[in-house]
Amino acid sequence: MEPDAQLVQQCLRGDGPAWAELVRRHTRRVFNLCYRFTGNPTEAEDLSQEVFLRIYRTLASYRPASGAFPTWLTSVTRNLLVDHYRRTRRDRVTDSIEDAMPQLEEKHSTARTPDKLAQAAELSTQLQRALSRLSPELREAVILRDLQSLEYSEIQTVLQVPEGTVKSRINRGRIELAKILEEMGLRPA
Amino acid sequence: MDWNCTYTEERLSDYLEGALTAEESAAFSAHARVCANCGPLVARVSSLVNQMHRLEPMEQPEHLVSKILDATLGPQPSKEGWRRWFTWAPAMLQPRFAMGIATVAACCVIVVQAGGITPGKLRRANLNPADMFRSANRQAHLTYARGVKFVNDLRVVYEIQSRLEPAPAPATIPPSPRQEPETKPQPSNPQQKSETHPGHSEARSERIFAYIVSSDLTVALDGSLP
Repeated sequence: MEPDAQLVQQCLRGDGPAWAELVRRHTRRVFNLCYRFTGNPTEAEDLSQEVFLRIYRTLASYRPASGAFPTWLTSVTRNLLVDHYRRTRRDRVTDSIEDAMPQLEEKHSTARTPDKLAQAAELSTQLQRALSRLSPELREAVILRDLQSLEYSEIQTVLQVPEGTVKSRINRGRIELAKILEEMGLRPA
Repeated sequence: MDWNCTYTEERLSDYLEGALTAEESAAFSAHARVCANCGPLVARVSSLVNQMHRLEPMEQPEHLVSKILDATLGPQPSKEGWRRWFTWAPAMLQPRFAMGIATVAACCVIVVQAGGITPGKLRRANLNPADMFRSANRQAHLTYARGVKFVNDLRVVYEIQSRLEPAPAPATIPPSPRQEPETKPQPSNPQQKSETHPGHSEARSERIFAYIVSSDLTVALDGSLP
């Protein structure tokens, strides 16, 4: 498998298949990041598309020396997510009360699902609800560390904050998340 | 080393990721063991982090990659030439379809075996529809005739058995004390005695043989059976 940096060089020379390969390789990561941040699959799909459009236009600005391609891709995605969060903040205030309603119903349905797969899917949904109640700063730190498995140094590059701040946000985010899940009546097994 | 709840919250992630010194880690654990607030908190956060690490990333929507490629490179040409005729092929490799195909193949083999078809002996002439029909018709008639013969043989055997064997003895009712004087002692039947004899089956076979030879079976059956 060719390294990302080589594919990027081929893309810059106008190689379509190299770009297609780059997209195939990283779509899942970008989609997951967008989904975990927004909690909405449709929104995540639109945002993923927007991310790759932006990447396509600004590919020449990527410098392999300054970090791996996935880290750069995550930075671009994160910046776009922050823009999107600011743009849609007003809409979310009105939605927050309605969002709280289905939580009780789903809490009961958790006990009825015997299948492990269904339980994992349910856990993922509940985790998503809890994540959406975290502040964006803590949320993005937890997502990058625990769901995207980035190193502290990579998160530092993506968020453009000192390592101490990164660690502190991740720590606070985890504790807050556990408390939110406890309030929702869910205790991680 | 003094440790309190504030330290526990601040250093929780360091503890979980093994970034504390041995001394700090021991103090952390000792505090978590005795503190009613910190113990459960550490357990909850630890479990949550483990579960998040085990969580599989979601699958992206199927059409997302092609949408991105269409938006960046322009509409992608559909697969050309003979390849477009085989776009369904990857779906056939799904376990569900593969198992279905294997089951159908196994059924075909069973049907072919049951039909008495030997693939090695097949000739081009056998594939002629008229020949195939004739062969199938012959096979069906043969099977029917075998069945009829088998049933008729069974009927003959049961018929002979029913004629030779004495009627089953009625259930013995213990005689009432009043009837006792009236009952006369029955003379023992020598034939019945002989049936309990170990050699009675030979005698019976001889009788069956004699019956078959002496009587016209067809007439006997036609006259006695409905």
